Amino acid sequence: MRRRDRAERWSVDDPRVARLAELLVERCLDVQPGWQVTIRTSPLARPLVRELARAIARRGAYALPRLSWELERLAVDIPWALEAPLELLDELAPIELYQGLNDDARLTIMAPEDARAGAAVPPERLSRIQRALEPVARRARALEVAWCVVQFPTEAAAAQAGMSLAEYEDFVYDACLLDWDAEGARMQRLADHFDRTSEVRIVGAGTDLTLSIAGRTGVVSQGRRNMPDGEFFFSPVEDSAEGVIAFSEFPASYLGRDVEGARLVFREGRVVEATASAGEDFLVGMLDTDEGARRLGELGIGCNPHITRHTRNLLFDEKMDGTVHLALGASYTYTGGLNKSAIHWDMVKDLRGGGELWCDGELVQRDGRWLI
Amino acid sequence: MPDPRVAAYAELLVGRCIGARPGWQVLVATTTEARPLAQELSRLLAERGAYALTRIHFGAAFPVDRDWLVAAPPELAPTLPPLELDLLGRVDASIFVLAPEPGGEALAEEPLRALRAQALAYRARGRRREIPSVRCDFPCPAYAERAGLPLAELEDVFYAACLRDWDEWARAMEPVRERLARASELRILGAGTDLHLGLAGREWAIDDGHQNVPGGELFTSPVEESVEGEIAFDFPAFAGGGEVRGIRLAFRGGEVVEATAEAGEELLLAALATDPGARRAGELGIGCNEGITHRLRNVLFDEKMAGTVHVALGDGFPQLGGRNASGIHWDLVKDLRDGGEILCDGETVQKDGVWTIPA
Repeated sequence: MRRRDRAERWSVDDPRVARLAELLVERCLDVQPGWQVTIRTSPLARPLVRELARAIARRGAYALPRLSWELERLAVDIPWALEAPLELLDELAPIELYQGLNDDARLTIMAPEDARAGAAVPPERLSRIQRALEPVARRARALEVAWCVVQFPTEAAAAQAGMSLAEYEDFVYDACLLDWDAEGARMQRLADHFDRTSEVRIVGAGTDLTLSIAGRTGVVSQGRRNMPDGEFFFSPVEDSAEGVIAFSEFPASYLGRDVEGARLVFREGRVVEATASAGEDFLVGMLDTDEGARRLGELGIGCNPHITRHTRNLLFDEKMDGTVHLALGASYTYTGGLNKSAIHWDMVKDLRGGGELWCDGELVQRDGRWLI
Repeated sequence: MPDPRVAAYAELLVGRCIGARPGWQVLVATTTEARPLAQELSRLLAERGAYALTRIHFGAAFPVDRDWLVAAPPELAPTLPPLELDLLGRVDASIFVLAPEPGGEALAEEPLRALRAQALAYRARGRRREIPSVRCDFPCPAYAERAGLPLAELEDVFYAACLRDWDEWARAMEPVRERLARASELRILGAGTDLHLGLAGREWAIDDGHQNVPGGELFTSPVEESVEGEIAFDFPAFAGGGEVRGIRLAFRGGEVVEATAEAGEELLLAALATDPGARRAGELGIGCNEGITHRLRNVLFDEKMAGTVHVALGDGFPQLGGRNASGIHWDLVKDLRDGGEILCDGETVQKDGVWTIPA
């Protein structure tokens, strides 16, 4: 039985699990006495959940575990999401809403049993659930609540990444257990250069896109709200994106679905043309979630030195050294961004094979290597 | 292929036990061991237009966060987070499905107390009947191990006990209930047993699987000071994580005056010493569930087994006229199937575990 196999694996205590839990509770969330910390994940993250419960308890705070076998990010489970009347999906249970508006910290641990589980739920239902969660998600984006998203290595996640579990565990922990203060200092020097820039141009295969970050301040992600972390990002001026970008190197994945070969054309900041070689309906469906879904909420630049390969997992892929990513939808308000949407869909563009990044006409990165 | 009995069991819980209605917020608390049931409950609640507030924990005896309460400061451990208290104050119904993990390490005394305090807080409104609430089990490997049965056989007994036509059964038992309700005294005879219990002014209830799963018993609270005689219990009883076997009790004037056990006597004596009410009988129950063909070493099932009676030490049922109050309610089960007898005011109503009056 599968459960037995897992039980055996758990009996081998990997010391990196406790180190990760400590990093999450102390650095990422900085849990304070009396806090209520929501932990969303699947039962497969058990070793980490156990260490977290202990670390949170030791700080005199409450852990509120919310285990679900699928859709750990969405606060509902698939059997319910598939059957519930549509009008029920439009509003969170009042009790859940209250919890989502009053928790002090939240941790989402991705630990999929089936990386494609979300695909069972029709996009229309997913959009409704996303919209219902919007007030809860807004608190996180506005940093009114401490939060962090982290990956736990499971068989399914390893398979999706094309690795054995042992290999994938090394990959995950190597990317997470870094000296984040040192990483932060290194990234800050790069971000400073962008802060002095008003126009960024991204050039690459099938791609020539310019966007303005004038008046916007870069945020350096140095091991707080994502684990692994390692990027700096901006909210581009909402009506500034002009040109075309082809996400031809990697699929753009969202809620368990892949869109291959997505190509977006922007005019005055808005997606006016969206095509894909596979999953185009899903892409267009998500763009139609609301008005803000067609505009950019984020330009991010990946800098994690231990993430050198694509693993079909955004949390890692967007941090990959030598890549940039653009997010359709909501921006983080603390970056000066104004775009509002129920979605936030990051798509990653590889610049390591002939790509270029320009800041106000100065070439700053070529083939994914910094020139500054 | 999922076991169709899981769906039928979920339907029993959502339909009959709590009667979920559109717009309700229903707390479902269980463990990872009960996955198929948890998912079916979610589905059925959605079908009924109700919200499922699902709280899955790793397999503790009661579905709470065991890792947290073991590590929490002692003053914090027995408390629930304010957000959880808010939830408990507002839910429209609750379903607690117990499904411990196999071989879960026993908790030390303090965390065990914390776990009990949390469980009491979770169940408080249901116990006060403010909301429909059910506490039930799921047939999992730990329960199979406890019952000494392969899991498949445990599942057979479990579902045979739970999935019955409860309305039909309750109708059939009504004449028996009426006969018992007319009696002023009940006498239990059997090996090492001759116990008299006064019933004057007390009501009898039929447990027909509403907020107790499985159902299948007739029960009352006997007149407290009237219990006289001896009783020897055949089934093992469980207390404080330990087992007590071969319990013999002698009652005088309603109070236990002599208590011995072949094994675990210290647990028995400790339970009796809980408070003054712990030495009195709070319940007399008669098991009538024909589906329970095997002792599961789970008192919720064992006490319902047809052909058995049970006496609970401790807390009684005020709604049936009971006046005894205690921090414990400990059901002890006596098998009457081999030579036992129940008499009402001197008339035999059951012999060898079989009713001799129309049922």
